[in-house]
Amino acid sequence: MSDSRHWAWPLLIGVLAAIGILLAIADIAAGAKWPNPMSDALVGPGVVVKAGVPASATPGTQTVRFDRTGVGEKFVFDSPIGGFGPLNPYQAVRAFLSSGAGLALLALAGLVVFPARARSAVERLEDRHGTEIALGAGLVMVLLTLAAITLLRFTLVFLAVVPIVLFVALIAALFGIACISLAIGRLLRRRLRLPSVHPLIAALAGSLVVFDLAVIPYAGVFAFAAAAMAGLGLAVVTRFGSAAGWSFGDLNW
Amino acid sequence: MTASESNSLACSRVRVLLEPYSDGALAREDRQQYDALRAHLAGCSDCRLQHEQAISLPFRLRALSSPPPPDSLVAGVMRTIASTRLATRRAWTLLVPEAALATFILWYLSGLEGITSVASGIVGDLLGLAGWSSGSGSLPSIPHADVLLLLALIALTAIAGYHLSILIRLTPAGRTGSGARRAASE
Repeated sequence: MSDSRHWAWPLLIGVLAAIGILLAIADIAAGAKWPNPMSDALVGPGVVVKAGVPASATPGTQTVRFDRTGVGEKFVFDSPIGGFGPLNPYQAVRAFLSSGAGLALLALAGLVVFPARARSAVERLEDRHGTEIALGAGLVMVLLTLAAITLLRFTLVFLAVVPIVLFVALIAALFGIACISLAIGRLLRRRLRLPSVHPLIAALAGSLVVFDLAVIPYAGVFAFAAAAMAGLGLAVVTRFGSAAGWSFGDLNW
Repeated sequence: MTASESNSLACSRVRVLLEPYSDGALAREDRQQYDALRAHLAGCSDCRLQHEQAISLPFRLRALSSPPPPDSLVAGVMRTIASTRLATRRAWTLLVPEAALATFILWYLSGLEGITSVASGIVGDLLGLAGWSSGSGSLPSIPHADVLLLLALIALTAIAGYHLSILIRLTPAGRTGSGARRAASE
């Protein structure tokens, strides 16, 4: 293996991280406006202070105990394009190190804890029409979950089940996103003809792709929703990556 | 001197004992008869031929009794070999009633405002339930739902469940297709 191929994976991960930070800067500048009103959830609120004006002097902002240095206030620049908020690279790095790292850690944890199930699910995803089926199943699952929750809302006894339903859906979506990350990593390896690498490294690159998609200005919310829905659908279709899949044979004896 | 004469066991008796001899049961249960049968086989070509046939795999497979097939065998095979085109079409067409029901429910609940109200109601009632369980409040009063709304929700749940079952059947479980081929090549 040549030296250049040896550095291919670290280089790819670095490029994906840099793209993520650049997209996060743009996403913060675009602000939490339609069609991405939830942009704050991933990249955090845009800081409205400008260089030279301390945050404490701006109404509505305050120094919190998790940010004692206030370095971010020194790295806020006016947007070159009118109608957009200030460019805040520090906030973007912070979003990458919190949301991006959190997403990558959860994805890697899912793969470490359930390797056999993840393999089964990724194989299903890589199969013919696997992505379309996972996406379709995710859409149907969202409808099913919303309908079930609304039904449960009108009963006092089963109202307490609602958080459990949401929790299971969240776990399923996270497991699915972990599998999608691994599938993306494997796809990158094949398409870019990268050398073989530890699957967790490939999954890390895949999770960075998911983060990059999620911080695309305006479209990020749709991309991340699609990834989460496909993850949910994949987890449901494969019964959390179970090798046997769905079978009612045991009920028919 | 014939083989039968050279051994204490008769050929007819040997044929009966060949099965436990081949299985190893005779060696465990009656060592003396086992030794006698071995000696007989060494000297009798007919019985040796019978023994070779008895221990051959095809012969033993033919001797196995076939278990009765399960009742669901034909249905299972037909389901497996059936074209997935019909299921794929059904998977797409089911989106229509789902979308119609979702739109109806959305309209019935006064749009996004109603959905938000349902969501905030769930959170409020859950908090009320938690407060009641800790003894700091009374049980929340659950609103009465319209029967038409409940029917629409149940219909949507049922259709979505059926839709999921079709999507699950679209790709067979196990390692098939390109994923398996790729895995095999790796």
